[in-house]
Amino acid sequence: MTTSSADKRKADLKVIILGDFAVGKTSLICRYIEGKFRPHETTIGAAFFLKQWGPYNVAVWDTAGDEKYTGLQSFYCRNAGAAILAFDLNHESSFESLWARFLPLLDNANEDCLKVVVGTKLDLLQPGSREVTQEEARRFSREINNNIDLKKLDREPYFETSSKTGQSVTEMFEFIYQYCLPLSEHEKKSAVETKRTSAFNTSTVDLNKPAVSSPKRTNCCSR
Amino acid sequence: MSIKAFELVPAIERLKLMSDKAKTQIECIDVCGKNLYIGTNDCFVVHYILEERPTQAGRMAFHNEKQGHKYLALKKPIDQLRAASALNRILVLCDHTLTMLNMLDLEPVMSGAKVKGVTYFCLNDNPVRGNPFSVEVCVALKKKQIQLYTITEDRIIHVKDVSIPEQAIRIGIDGHFICAALASQYCMVNFETGQLQDLFPYDSESTKPVVKRISKEEFLLSGPSALGMFVTSEGISQRPPMQLSDNLLGVSYVHPYIVSLNDEFITVHSILDQQQKQAIPFQGGANIGDFDGRVFISSAKEIYALVPVAWEKQVQALLADKRVQEALDLAKNANHAGLSKDKFLKIYRRFQQQAAFIEFSQQNFDEAKELFKGGKVDVRELLSLYPGLMPSSSNFTRSIPVLHEIADVNNLCKDNEEMKKDYKKFLRNYLEEIRGTKDGHGFKQVIDTVLLKLYAEINWPELIPLIAVDTGCDLKESVEWLEKYERYHALGLLFKYHGENDKAMQIWSRLVNGEIKDELFPGLEFVVEFLSNINDPELVWKYVDWALEKDQELSVKIFTERPSNEPPTERFRPETVIDYLHRFPKAVIAYLEYLIFQKKLEKEKYHTHLAVLYLDSVLQLMKNNNVKKEHLDNARSKLRHMLQLSNMYRVQLILGKVKEQDMHAECAILYGKLEEHDKAMKILVHKLKDYVAAENYCFVNSQGKDSTYRKRLFHILLGVYLDPSNERKDLLVTPAVELLNRNVTEFDTAKVLQLLPENWSVQLVKQFLSQTVRKSMNFHRTIRIERMMSRGENLWVKEASIQMQKSPIQMNDDKMCAVCNRAFSDPTFVRYPNGIITHVHCAKNKHVCPVTGKLFSICSKNS
Repeated sequence: MTTSSADKRKADLKVIILGDFAVGKTSLICRYIEGKFRPHETTIGAAFFLKQWGPYNVAVWDTAGDEKYTGLQSFYCRNAGAAILAFDLNHESSFESLWARFLPLLDNANEDCLKVVVGTKLDLLQPGSREVTQEEARRFSREINNNIDLKKLDREPYFETSSKTGQSVTEMFEFIYQYCLPLSEHEKKSAVETKRTSAFNTSTVDLNKPAVSSPKRTNCCSR
Repeated sequence: MSIKAFELVPAIERLKLMSDKAKTQIECIDVCGKNLYIGTNDCFVVHYILEERPTQAGRMAFHNEKQGHKYLALKKPIDQLRAASALNRILVLCDHTLTMLNMLDLEPVMSGAKVKGVTYFCLNDNPVRGNPFSVEVCVALKKKQIQLYTITEDRIIHVKDVSIPEQAIRIGIDGHFICAALASQYCMVNFETGQLQDLFPYDSESTKPVVKRISKEEFLLSGPSALGMFVTSEGISQRPPMQLSDNLLGVSYVHPYIVSLNDEFITVHSILDQQQKQAIPFQGGANIGDFDGRVFISSAKEIYALVPVAWEKQVQALLADKRVQEALDLAKNANHAGLSKDKFLKIYRRFQQQAAFIEFSQQNFDEAKELFKGGKVDVRELLSLYPGLMPSSSNFTRSIPVLHEIADVNNLCKDNEEMKKDYKKFLRNYLEEIRGTKDGHGFKQVIDTVLLKLYAEINWPELIPLIAVDTGCDLKESVEWLEKYERYHALGLLFKYHGENDKAMQIWSRLVNGEIKDELFPGLEFVVEFLSNINDPELVWKYVDWALEKDQELSVKIFTERPSNEPPTERFRPETVIDYLHRFPKAVIAYLEYLIFQKKLEKEKYHTHLAVLYLDSVLQLMKNNNVKKEHLDNARSKLRHMLQLSNMYRVQLILGKVKEQDMHAECAILYGKLEEHDKAMKILVHKLKDYVAAENYCFVNSQGKDSTYRKRLFHILLGVYLDPSNERKDLLVTPAVELLNRNVTEFDTAKVLQLLPENWSVQLVKQFLSQTVRKSMNFHRTIRIERMMSRGENLWVKEASIQMQKSPIQMNDDKMCAVCNRAFSDPTFVRYPNGIITHVHCAKNKHVCPVTGKLFSICSKNS
């Protein structure tokens, strides 16, 4: 729904989420956009969500973790202003992949791209099942962001989230937006307002929008 | 989720031309207006005229007629054909050579212009140069190079070379941007700047590269794993990829659909949600192309057109499948060419309306509500779904063609009562929201009546405000409904709103009597308030009896709380009311209190009446032995208050009664009214022994009178205290002394001293005496000062007078009166202090100079 009506508008910020297969990237985004947790099919190629942040449009790109799409991921990273590097707190291998497979992909992203490291599936964490310590994840998040001035951030770009409970999900996204597209307190408030009303936007016709006509037809005589 | 977006219609069945040569196959096609060109594998270019002829059944059919053909004599297949109608040429790629043929007779151009070594070419649909008589062409060469040409009628002009790292297999161009599929990856080249941007790799083994220009600066490429990738000229993607079928042969785009072809299927995806919408089995497909918005597909021998199903039909089909969101998205984004905004809006509204009823039938109430509003659904259309709610006065019939297939809500809910409740709740919310807004404009009566019915059914508290304030409810129907659900109070209000006060009162009186019940009814107070506010004496008199019998004190408000702006009428004259109220003693008292204390009417009759009534009630209480003291005290204090406050009643009458009963306090007040202070104070002092009250009496009765009067009262009091004839006068020494010592200013000392008994010690009245002495000294001295000052002033005035009179005034015939300007005939005249001389009769005011208007004051030193 979001994509169909809004894809014509240009996004002010591109956020891309990267991470190993089945770490819960799509769930994370859906928890944020739809506010609920539900199981998802494997993402094919990539998916796309548009979000309002005050006066800005933010495009959130979900990528497929499957290795066969690696070639595309670097393409989708192009022009990204922020990247979410997601790993499963219960699987060390997914954390290692971030460094080995996904970090190089971000060469295509903007130079000042903010990289946020996100541990997922916090709710599944049992005593002893944690395979990635907070310290090493924090250290990693600092190291990979040496391109930007970390002092500008009010915290380390590392979050531990649960898409099932929603813990830290919205905070994480708003942390990114606030860094890339800072809003004043007042604007933030209205951003919350639009969040509420945006659900109805699609049911109205925008009369100011030019009627979409086939581009081919107009060029007929120039052949 | 499928939808029928296109229909496959044969355009040219079997190529008639090649019937003798079985091997001949279609290699490529191009369509330009009515012209259809076919390039064959055996080097023929064939020209057809193709005309659309709708059949009688309303379906599209094609009529074709062969115009001619041309053999290029290269024995190689024709790889590509593109018509350039602006030049009247077709561009032909055959045997790696790009040449031009005349569009109509298929003869080669005279100049023989050609480009060699070409593997693929494409036209720029978004040309950089604005010359309408030239075409910009981009070609991929066998070597690692792309070339740009401008082609005119008979010339091919080289513009630019662009080097690329690998040979280009497929290319697409838009403006300055060339999107190229190289051997193993896609790249985007800006031919102006030569800048080359890698996009993404693909596997040339498994994927046939496809570069399809979608719109300005956007291409669709076939990526790995059969993903259709959207890429803008900036090298990024603004849409998610779509999963296309394997073994992709080609794609076309007719907004909003991407049509892709593989060897088994024609597949249709929506660019809006990237989902597959339709799949048409099609064996042996070879080419697909969109030409001026028309899609053609060829197999080896046949050509088909994909005729789009009108978007309205598609939307309708989606709605029929209850795919509301998809349908509305499609409606919004479909090609609205040929529709004015108004027309489109009209169509769109209708879809919204249909969608609204679909959501409604699925209990998606939020969505339904928005759609009902957005689609401006006639509210009666919705109401007609609720059996029994539609006002019978409405002769509404559902719109034709029907917007929905819902019989009614009961039908939707079957026997699910909860669901029915939800539906009614939805209707309630919806009506509340549109009530008074433009959405509900023109349907006030319908909306209000239905709301009333809904409220009445569940006894919703909003019912009362709905009826009481600006209601549009239909009276007759609402009455029936309210009676049915026993919402009697509301019924009364409804009558009241419609001015049928009598009917309203009937209902309410029954409610008060308990014949009928309604928990929303506030009780008798409400009725009394109502009666006190209506300007209808007939009705008031009709019910006042009944109300008074219910509760006298409450009901008397009918008379006492009349609206302040009500003009005085004969029917509510105090005498009439009092006469009427005779039976209801409490009511009479309340009414008289109202007249006296609130209206401040000063009629002896009312005052006496009230006093007597008060007295009666006191007497009544006194007779009854087991009455609580408080009650009695209360009643008596009321009486006293009345007696004290009012001066209008007939004192003697009351006094006579009071005396009989030994009501001393009252007696005292009454004596006070009669100015028989001695008697009054004797009662206070001897009977009641209330010395504070006695002193108070002096103050109260001297209010508004001069101080000597008060003095007199205090002397009387003192006299009473010190009355030598009293046997128990010793008891009164203390109050007497206190009185003296405190209220000393009010006494004439000489008289007091006479009164004081001889045996009193000076010590007893020392305080009084010393204060008195001090006081009289003070008084004496003050008088002296005053006298001296007066004398001084007198001297002053004398001096001034002498000053003024000391100079002589000569009067002769020449002197004229300053006022009338005539001569003085009398010896008397007037002289003002400023020297103006007038006749005595001309000096009208001796303080004002008649000429200058100057004011003279007697004491002013300067005058």
